[in-house]
Amino acid sequence: MLSEREILSTLAMLRDEHLDLRTVTIGISLLDCVSDDVNRFINRCQIKIARHAATLVETANRIGDKYGIKVVNKRIAVSPIAVAGAPFNSSQLVLVARALDHAAKSAGIDFIGGFSALVEKGMASGDRALIAAIPEALASTERVCASVNVATTRAGINMDAVLKMGSIVKETAELTASADGLGAAKLVVFANIPPDIPFMAGAYLGIGEADVVINVGVSGPGVIKKAIDRALAADAAIDLGRISEIIKQTAAKVTRAGELIGREVAESLGVSFGVVDLSLAPTPNAGDSVGEIFQSLGLRSIGVPGSTAALALLNDAVKKGGAFASSHVGGLSGAFIPVSEDLNIAAAAAQGILSLEKLEALTAVCSVGLDMVPLPGDTSAETLAAIIADEMAIGVINKKTTAARLIPVPGKKAGDKIHFGGLLGEGTIIPVNNGPNENRFVRHGGRIPAPVQSLNN
Amino acid sequence: MILNKLIISVIGEDRPGILAAVSDLLYARGCNIEDVSQTILQSVFGALFIVSTTVEMKAEQLQAVLTEGVSKLNLDVFVRKHEFVTHETVLSQPFVITTFGPDKPGLVRGITGILARHTINVSNLKAVFKGGDDPGNNVMIFEVDVPIATSLPDLRRELKQAAQELGLEINIQHRKIFEMMNRI
Repeated sequence: MLSEREILSTLAMLRDEHLDLRTVTIGISLLDCVSDDVNRFINRCQIKIARHAATLVETANRIGDKYGIKVVNKRIAVSPIAVAGAPFNSSQLVLVARALDHAAKSAGIDFIGGFSALVEKGMASGDRALIAAIPEALASTERVCASVNVATTRAGINMDAVLKMGSIVKETAELTASADGLGAAKLVVFANIPPDIPFMAGAYLGIGEADVVINVGVSGPGVIKKAIDRALAADAAIDLGRISEIIKQTAAKVTRAGELIGREVAESLGVSFGVVDLSLAPTPNAGDSVGEIFQSLGLRSIGVPGSTAALALLNDAVKKGGAFASSHVGGLSGAFIPVSEDLNIAAAAAQGILSLEKLEALTAVCSVGLDMVPLPGDTSAETLAAIIADEMAIGVINKKTTAARLIPVPGKKAGDKIHFGGLLGEGTIIPVNNGPNENRFVRHGGRIPAPVQSLNN
Repeated sequence: MILNKLIISVIGEDRPGILAAVSDLLYARGCNIEDVSQTILQSVFGALFIVSTTVEMKAEQLQAVLTEGVSKLNLDVFVRKHEFVTHETVLSQPFVITTFGPDKPGLVRGITGILARHTINVSNLKAVFKGGDDPGNNVMIFEVDVPIATSLPDLRRELKQAAQELGLEINIQHRKIFEMMNRI
């Protein structure tokens, strides 16, 4: 027999606190589809994706219904196309991107990730072709997401790739100028990219992964906020150690829900189960915000002094709760701070309380990085590359994942409003220090060496 | 010795000492308590006992002993012979049905009628109607066993429709989600 409290507390999370399964993502390896003939490659990819993803949406919905938890998104992550499609040139890889777009659409899926390259130490011909194809691929598709890993703690930072990505981000935004540079919202530059992220736009299926695998992303910033609010209502003098404990316990509960559904979806589809990624991923809805958690913790807004310490507490407590609750936690697992996707964070940026520099500081302790940051359209490719380089350095030195998803919005300047719609949200462009100018540092190129792994001060 | 099983129900105003009095009388008559469940609703105490005793002990006799023994506590005692057989168990899945919404006559009837039609057994029912606007104060929780052969979409549709007519919000969830989220 269940206790009334067990039932009612779970229901409160689902009914009032926006607990949902943010994504069930099926990873599909395309390495067995390789061919030197692009049409044959495309054909094999489409067949394999259709075979495994055709019933994903229906299965995830059925199992979500069974447990009363909404599975908001169903997505596909494929092997890095720069590897699987290594023989092809850029225009051929654009065709591959369109085929992936079509395959996702046929399966009723909104995003497919894996138009990706791993170039932290150097670029092969497939990597070069893929990176060059990104602007056109993202401008001519709806559902494809691209990612490029340009740095790792073991390899250092590939500054040639960083400089290149500055231009690619700018070009991608320009090709989608009529949609406020939306293409760049589907492109992430990474350091230490995990091979099993279920969340977009960074999802791809790593080379060391199973042939087909289910990874799930659980969210729930609203659940964490309400748990903190309840604790404070019961005892206004509660200390931060106790608050951390409450976040941890709440995160554990949320993770367990994700694991239950992920395992059952995997079993039902006859594929292996990978990981639960417990990340506080906001949506542009009130009550589903990471920014609001900062206010519950006693800060006027995300961005004021104290924000980095608060985020460090939050991110660590979420990871501890997740690690305790499931033996297979992976992906990003922590707190996201995507500017345009979180009403509260977007408002802090619009009011000038949250600057690009403070965001960068926050990314030293959050689970991803500079995420969905709208920048002035005249930001130079070199400045974009330099922002990316800074972000990569934080990840490489701190042995963590960092990423940059920057949107230099064509024709718009700091303070202007932008609108991406849906989950990608809306916001206000924030100013960039030294934005339109050149940056000779990033032009040096080469590799910033991997950091020393001792002398940790 | 052939064991004789009796069922005892005890109902009355809740106060300290009821279980002590009843169990003392049972012990003195050589009855062994095999199963017991008690609950309190508002200020009403209710308990159900299954006891094993000797074949000589008749239900009427034990009822007289208990009624006499607890007379000061103002309790109603009923005793009968336990002759119920355990039915072959139908393969089923445990679900939890919860409703939220204002009290009015016919709510339990409306939901259980549908469950009965689908031969769904209710293993536990808890309903609280405290009034007011807080949905947590006007709740019904049915723990049920849904036979494997039941069409879940049909059941879901019928329950949702009934709930809508009764002005209730209804959730139908597999029990495992509550266990996973609350128990280690």
